[in-house]
Amino acid sequence: MSASADLQSARALSSRGGWGSAFSGAARIVGILIAILVVVQSLIVVEARPQELITGIHGMADIIRRAVPPDFSKLPNTLWPALETVDIAIFGTLAGVIMAIPLAVLAAANVTPSRSMYYLARGIIGFTRAVPDLVWALFFVTAVGLGPFPGGLALAVHSIGMLGRLFAETIEHMDMAPIDALALTGARRIQIFTHGVVPSVLPSLLGISLYRLDENIRSSLVLGFVGAGGIGFQLLAAMNLFQYREVSLLLIVVFVIVVTVERLSAFLRQRLA
Amino acid sequence: MMLAVRHLTLRYPNGKCALADFSLQVKSGELVVVLGGNGSGKTTLLRCITRSLAPSSGEVWLNSVDLTHLTGDKLRRARLDLAMIWQHASLVRRTSVIANVAAGSLGRHFTFKTACGGLPADELRAAYDYLHEVGLVELAHQKAGTLSGGQAQRVAIARALAQKPKVVLADEPVASLDPEAAEEIMRLLQRLAVKENIAVLCVLHQVELAYAYAHRVVGIRDGRLEFDLPREAVSREAVKRLYMSEAA
Repeated sequence: MSASADLQSARALSSRGGWGSAFSGAARIVGILIAILVVVQSLIVVEARPQELITGIHGMADIIRRAVPPDFSKLPNTLWPALETVDIAIFGTLAGVIMAIPLAVLAAANVTPSRSMYYLARGIIGFTRAVPDLVWALFFVTAVGLGPFPGGLALAVHSIGMLGRLFAETIEHMDMAPIDALALTGARRIQIFTHGVVPSVLPSLLGISLYRLDENIRSSLVLGFVGAGGIGFQLLAAMNLFQYREVSLLLIVVFVIVVTVERLSAFLRQRLA
Repeated sequence: MMLAVRHLTLRYPNGKCALADFSLQVKSGELVVVLGGNGSGKTTLLRCITRSLAPSSGEVWLNSVDLTHLTGDKLRRARLDLAMIWQHASLVRRTSVIANVAAGSLGRHFTFKTACGGLPADELRAAYDYLHEVGLVELAHQKAGTLSGGQAQRVAIARALAQKPKVVLADEPVASLDPEAAEEIMRLLQRLAVKENIAVLCVLHQVELAYAYAHRVVGIRDGRLEFDLPREAVSREAVKRLYMSEAA
């Protein structure tokens, strides 16, 4: 009896409120119109002209024709900048991780020692993340000169923001029961952190750091464009000198670096999971 | 006598009274089981004893120490004598069983090594003995996250032993276990009380387990003490009344 009564009341509820269903229909139409408006305004703002892409196909074909075959005789010259690119990313990621961990602890609502520390840490994380790594690179190039070091610093500072936020979220979402259990054994705050929090979140933090390294490798390629060292700097120089065969060689090297690090990072993250 | 709760009252800001003038004593070597329906105040009682909740009035004494008004490091030190076993074992899943057990001793060892995540060598050695006592020494190097519910709960008891407490509080420690594992946990808690001379206060829903293992049974209903009797003196009727709603 109760099952059929439930069914009847459910039917009554679904058939009730014609106004409600009419409103949801109108809301859906308004939503679709807003979505169309957003897309149309973006096409207008970016001045999308697909016809010019078609007419410019000859220019693109010409560049590709001049870029093949890649100039492999320049390969030895690319090895050092390639290593520099990878090392900028490693330095930036490592320095970022070292600075992000304490900030994340302060910025995680469930373990932060005080509200003022929480807001301060969240502010630093937000600011370092909001400023793009390219802007940080320009800033550090001005401060310490051209070369890979400003690139590493730029990635480190930007990584603080990106890693700090993800680390803090990981800590906030961890299971607090083992932490509470340790607290009730009379363990001190630092012991609870090293014996409870760290082992609980470490694999996730390592996974996030490896993913960040993967991202930083790609970022470090672009940072070379503003004089922050690495293969990007060589790529810009080759493009400015119309050395398209060298450009295609450099793009192959970039492809190999990115895919290798991406695969390695994915493999290690899978092992950590 | 080890643990004494005197006239404990906890009133929430919304006016609801979770505990009302509740008094209880648990002596060393005694296993006292608290029975009561959902929302009767059992867990609240344990949380007030550990001072995870601050009571509105009343006192909690552990030997000659009044826990009621302790804060900060004084409360931390007082908690060294008070081990807690939860409904879910609350182990650090990614560390080994032996590390989880030895972590129970952290409160007694504040050194550079333990602050950096290390464990004292003598406590690690002792942890094997505690694991042997709960019959899990062969799983010492397994990750805690791989254990079954019953095994995890036995590890939690070993961790409590590593703490070397004078009082053990257990909050529905067999709630998620099969009958065989539940019996095993109750046998261990009884042994803890008798062999280690520890005062054990255990909240349960399983009436039969209370009859089988408790020295004394305490009944709680709507935050009030209904009875506090040796298990032989507790009638089925009295237990039944605990689980009846107030309206009935």
